[in-house]
Amino acid sequence: MGKNPNASVLLVDDEDMVLTSVRAYLTLETEFTIHTFSEPEEAVKHMQNNPVDVVVSDYLMPRMSGIQFLMKARELQPEVSRVLLTGHADKQSAIQAINDVGLYQYVEKPWDNAQLLLVVTNGIERSSLLRDLRSTISELATANTSLKDVQKRLLRAFL
Amino acid sequence: MASLGRMLANIVHEINTPIGSILSNNEVVVRSLDKLQAMLAAPDTMPMEKVRAIVETCRSLAAVDEIACQRIASVVRGLKTFVHAGDGEFHQASLQDAMTDTLKLTQGEFRRRIVVETDFGDVPPVECQPQMLNQVFLNLLVNAGHAICGEGKIVVRMRQEGDQAHISISDTGCGIRAEDCGKIFASGFTSKPAGVGTGLGLSISRRIVEEVHGGKIYFETQVGVGTTFHILIPIQHARTADPPKE
Repeated sequence: MGKNPNASVLLVDDEDMVLTSVRAYLTLETEFTIHTFSEPEEAVKHMQNNPVDVVVSDYLMPRMSGIQFLMKARELQPEVSRVLLTGHADKQSAIQAINDVGLYQYVEKPWDNAQLLLVVTNGIERSSLLRDLRSTISELATANTSLKDVQKRLLRAFL
Repeated sequence: MASLGRMLANIVHEINTPIGSILSNNEVVVRSLDKLQAMLAAPDTMPMEKVRAIVETCRSLAAVDEIACQRIASVVRGLKTFVHAGDGEFHQASLQDAMTDTLKLTQGEFRRRIVVETDFGDVPPVECQPQMLNQVFLNLLVNAGHAICGEGKIVVRMRQEGDQAHISISDTGCGIRAEDCGKIFASGFTSKPAGVGTGLGLSISRRIVEEVHGGKIYFETQVGVGTTFHILIPIQHARTADPPKE
């Protein structure tokens, strides 16, 4: 599966072992660019300057929870697909958080690689579609402004 | 106890993380071997650089697996001391070992949020019911963790003082309000939100320390600074102490 070779995936987990495992799998199976961070604050800094397609974040992290981080990610890049990867047994609070923040997907630890890959790949496609949509809306708005301008000039010419 | 439920939830999390890594790594290693085998069958199809990268990845995953297995083993060792309900008999036991095992169970709860420092002096084996004391230690550690909002520190000390072992657990948490100080050992009292505390932990802890072991439990606290719980346990249990000479 090597679609979107330029896609950028951000992994955030305070457990280095999770970062190593997920990065190894995605590197083996895809051509995506993978960035890993064990500190959410560092991931936020990265997102301030670099476009990202999918963010996969742990839930329980010190100082900044996965939910807080993913909210920040949305502020910085509204189209980014946000995925929560959690092994926390308290599913209820995680689901509540997902509903509050409007995440793209929720994946449980221990995770299934094939499922994670599907979520990441679909997330990349979703981000790309959203960016296209935004760009199309922007083009339409520009075209609309031009048309209004033409309309004004026509009205002025004939009335 | 709700704190036990929460602790178990954290243990599940603590074990799920390394298991997730091991399962994923196993799959990656198998897929890597498939690729290397294919390369051996047709050596020109893959650049050597790629082959080296795959071998290096497998090596790093083996290192991760070792760490992950050690993590699981550590949690399981900690749990073992709680598996036996205790036979109601007093044994010579190392309180340092009991505390170390209990601290392993709190790793998931504290993670990097709370730094735990231990200062175990030269305390001889104590005649006690270790499983019961483990419950007390766990309860006090969980309480200390709940008292700390955000980041903080817990210090566990152990000393021999005369014929007693003195254990103290200090936290840099919110402290106990003056109006609550007289009530905290009462059964049913809790200052925690509904679903977090049952108000039984400290009452049971006092029973275990004072009634079962003939020891003493007390605390010092300062609101906004922290709390220290002290436990005194006789090194030799009173029932089996040498009878006084007539």
